[in-house]
Amino acid sequence: MNIARRLLGLLWLAGALALGAGTAQAHPHVWITATSELIYAPDGAITGVRHAWTFDDMFSTYALQGIETKTKGVYSREELSSLAQTNVESLKEFKFFTFAKADGKKEKFEEPVDYFLEYKDAALTLHFTLPLKTPLKSRELALEVFDPAFFIDFKFADKDPVRLVGAPAACQMKFQRPNDGSANAQKLGEQNFLSGENSNFGMMFANKITVACP
Amino acid sequence: MTSKSPFGFVRGLAICATAAGAILIFDGAMHVLLAQTPFGGPRPSAEPQVGGIVGWLLARQSEFYREMSSTIRAAKSDGSAVWTLLAISFAYGIFHAAGPGHGKAVISSYLVANQETARRGIVLSFASALMQSLVAVVIVAICAWLLNASAKTMCGAEKAIEIASYALIAAFGARLVWTKGGGFMRALQAPRPALAMASAGQGHGHGHDHHHHDHHHGTDQHVHDEHGGHSHGPEPSELAGPGGWRRGFGAIFAVGIRPCSGAILVLVFALAQGLFWAGIAATFVMGLGTAITVAAIAVIAVSAKDLARRMSAGTEGGGTLVMRGVEFGAAGLVLLFGVGLLFGYLAAERVTCF
Repeated sequence: MNIARRLLGLLWLAGALALGAGTAQAHPHVWITATSELIYAPDGAITGVRHAWTFDDMFSTYALQGIETKTKGVYSREELSSLAQTNVESLKEFKFFTFAKADGKKEKFEEPVDYFLEYKDAALTLHFTLPLKTPLKSRELALEVFDPAFFIDFKFADKDPVRLVGAPAACQMKFQRPNDGSANAQKLGEQNFLSGENSNFGMMFANKITVACP
Repeated sequence: MTSKSPFGFVRGLAICATAAGAILIFDGAMHVLLAQTPFGGPRPSAEPQVGGIVGWLLARQSEFYREMSSTIRAAKSDGSAVWTLLAISFAYGIFHAAGPGHGKAVISSYLVANQETARRGIVLSFASALMQSLVAVVIVAICAWLLNASAKTMCGAEKAIEIASYALIAAFGARLVWTKGGGFMRALQAPRPALAMASAGQGHGHGHDHHHHDHHHGTDQHVHDEHGGHSHGPEPSELAGPGGWRRGFGAIFAVGIRPCSGAILVLVFALAQGLFWAGIAATFVMGLGTAITVAAIAVIAVSAKDLARRMSAGTEGGGTLVMRGVEFGAAGLVLLFGVGLLFGYLAAERVTCF
């Protein structure tokens, strides 16, 4: 009896500490509304992904801090070019938050090309193309867009979130948004919070694109 | 428990505590290490779900945070929106601090390691949150307002401060491990009768006075000789002495100099809208909300430890070994947080820099 109570006390302590240690970096500060295009070559191989990421109001303002413009509040593509450069360079470290798998095998991307920033309606949109290291034809291609650290919350646009450009007619695309959680709240609950499961926490917020080409 | 084997029981408890500590440390290490290389790809079996407390907290957080920008915009034409802004900031602070970071873990572990009181925990929480707010305001005021520096520059400053903060936490943790390790070793090495004596002699504790000796001589033997019979930490009243508060200041400083990226974003946004003062007010109110959550967690940690102490007090030796073990583990956690953050910081916060 006594032992049980003691152990309970220790467990409580452990719990309190674990609560503190808790989920790693699980607080989003940046929200991105994304649309993506999967680009295919005439021979039916996918060559890359073209992203358009619109940052939230607050982060857009933050990113624009200190950027000189000719007209106040108006930012041309040229004036934003150095910021776009900084963006894609910094994104490299995070693998551009884009993770591809072809038939279960991880695929790598080249440095981004055709990148630029656009300022419209108080929001910045970063356009960039990620070429695949090797264009490939695969039966199944899975593409995930998310921030594993969940510093950035990726939400795909409501309208036309993902498009296939030049894909063979037989290819079928499926897009899956991250679960909003309410449905499975009971299932995982606090257990998940305190277990090691949250180490790859951001994965829960992954946007999944799958393309099946028979 | 049988009266035949009191020491066996103490040892059992110690093993439990050590195991719990080891698991915690491992768990913490995994978090931190995975934060460093978070691109290992998702585990295929796990279903992507957000549930329970986490999902709920994140949902609230996002709502409040996103309302902040529109409220600041509204405040430009309607002054009363500032009140809404303050209310949202307060709520955001409370929820946001419940997530990781903000020194909850460091402060809680520190309190446990150092036998601090709940009252002290509350003071530390509020002081570090206040300092975090101040640093955020100072960074934005100097970089954005005075120098009109770019986000990249500002982020560079933020990063430098962050590294300093993590290094300080690591150093602080190393010092705790050093001093608490001594206590743990002493408890381990103490011949059993000494353990019993220790419980009899409690209350005379030189608690923290000899930490500095530890530093210079660094041998357990020496410490052992000097304070063989002592085991219990200082009484709360002793902690209120100047030395105690100075130590506490170390914790405040290490945790508090790293500002919250959220606060910086809000401040820069408010500045761009010509409402810097509203941003500053929001930042401090946010800090207040953060402090409440951190203080609550700190109090839980302290009371959990008190409970563990009271429960192990019945055993022979006053559960000295258990408590020393818990303190040592907590000290180890602080060190681990510091080191882990130091090496994992890129993945944790660098994103603001793009």
